[in-house]
Amino acid sequence: MLIVGGPVPSPEHHRVGHPERPGRVEAAMAGIDDLHLDEDVEVVPGQAAPLDRLALVHPPAFLQELAAFCGAGGGDLDPDTYSTPQSFEAARRVVGAGLAAIDRLKVLQAGVAFVAARPPGHHALADRAMGFCLLNAVAVGAASLVAEGERVLIVDWDVHHGNGTQAIFWNDPSVLYVSTHQWPLYPGTGAAREIGGADALELTVNVPLGPGATGDALRRGIDELAGPAVDAFGPTWVLVSAGFDAHRDDPLADFALSSGDFAELAKTVQGFVPRPGRLALFLEGGYDLLAVRGSVAATLGELLGAPYDAEDPTSDDRSGAMVERARAERVRAIRSAEELEREGPG
Amino acid sequence: MTVRTIAVGYDGSIGAQLAARFAFDLANQLGANIVLVHAIGLLGRTDEIEIVRDLEETAVVMAGEAGIDPGHARWHVSQGDPCSALLRAGNPPLSADLLVVGSRGHRNDAGLPLGSTSHELAERATVPLVIVPSTRAD
Repeated sequence: MLIVGGPVPSPEHHRVGHPERPGRVEAAMAGIDDLHLDEDVEVVPGQAAPLDRLALVHPPAFLQELAAFCGAGGGDLDPDTYSTPQSFEAARRVVGAGLAAIDRLKVLQAGVAFVAARPPGHHALADRAMGFCLLNAVAVGAASLVAEGERVLIVDWDVHHGNGTQAIFWNDPSVLYVSTHQWPLYPGTGAAREIGGADALELTVNVPLGPGATGDALRRGIDELAGPAVDAFGPTWVLVSAGFDAHRDDPLADFALSSGDFAELAKTVQGFVPRPGRLALFLEGGYDLLAVRGSVAATLGELLGAPYDAEDPTSDDRSGAMVERARAERVRAIRSAEELEREGPG
Repeated sequence: MTVRTIAVGYDGSIGAQLAARFAFDLANQLGANIVLVHAIGLLGRTDEIEIVRDLEETAVVMAGEAGIDPGHARWHVSQGDPCSALLRAGNPPLSADLLVVGSRGHRNDAGLPLGSTSHELAERATVPLVIVPSTRAD
């Protein structure tokens, strides 16, 4: 069973010519239609997320400022990120769709959820909108689960590092954050040496990879670097920041993945899910509409066991070295943190 | 403390221009090298050639105005948001030992109250930081 959170295409949050546009959600929904799931799809529209749920991540003062800025007409939040008078409410609906999808999974205790909504969220910091993102939907979803005593693994395979999500849970021992991303690239965070705060050491796993990285590099990064951390952490829920801008046709980045690679990534992540009904994917980036459509179909087809068409998975001889560099940097950072801990204060 | 390299955040805004002029003057007084750092955001990739042209021109003009040998003035295009780009300027290869930033860049030109590069840098910078007010008396 596929639970679709949304769809929330947010046509009222739109600037002509900007790559982060309503057609992205339509493309994702077309990918779902391509699977011909018939009765195996349940759409959960959700409502604007209540402010008290948003406040699990975003300070009330920030929410008030963002609402007021949008309400006064909106405008540029940074050179990349626009807002309209309706953007705050649109972003609330994105978060609400995510919460509704998670709630539905809890009831069903089965299936997979996909939140087909925009604007994306993983760059949004607790108190700052950036990188096309206003509110961090995956973070609010995770924080809501943590508030109920759950342990949440967030896997972020968007081509850009999810700096917002990492920062929000940097020192939270209830969340394990794993990201594969292009390096160097926006936003500039996500070095392998970033391993988490004092209360959550090793609960941030970054796998920065060079331009041209193929699917096998991301899979190996998740398997080999994140796998041991996931085993040690023992998640009770898995959320995915599912950007599809690592696809080779995406105009904003330089990875070389195919749609079939996303199916392989999904299979890898599915191995981390502790039991049925504990996996929810959130649409993040992805700016080539055909790539989004094909990649969403491949991802969800793989997770649901439904037939799908996909491009062949990709691999490259350089992948092993890329992953090894990340591993070596992470190991050095862990050793350094352990030494500091042994030495103690002063 | 010896200041060998000053990195100044530059996004072309009025605030960034004020900060850059201050930084070039300071570099001249201290005999330091200076590097203009421009962060390319998500969309900036498509305008990179234009950005580089603007940075080159700005570096040459400001060096001339401040009386600095143009050989000591560089520019650097960095992938990332402005804060992370400037934070990384303190590491090799730039190895800046002083950061300079305007109190208001493009992000805050419209009086946007939501966070700011200068505030975030003030919290996270690992080398000394100068924040140049956007409304200087001179």
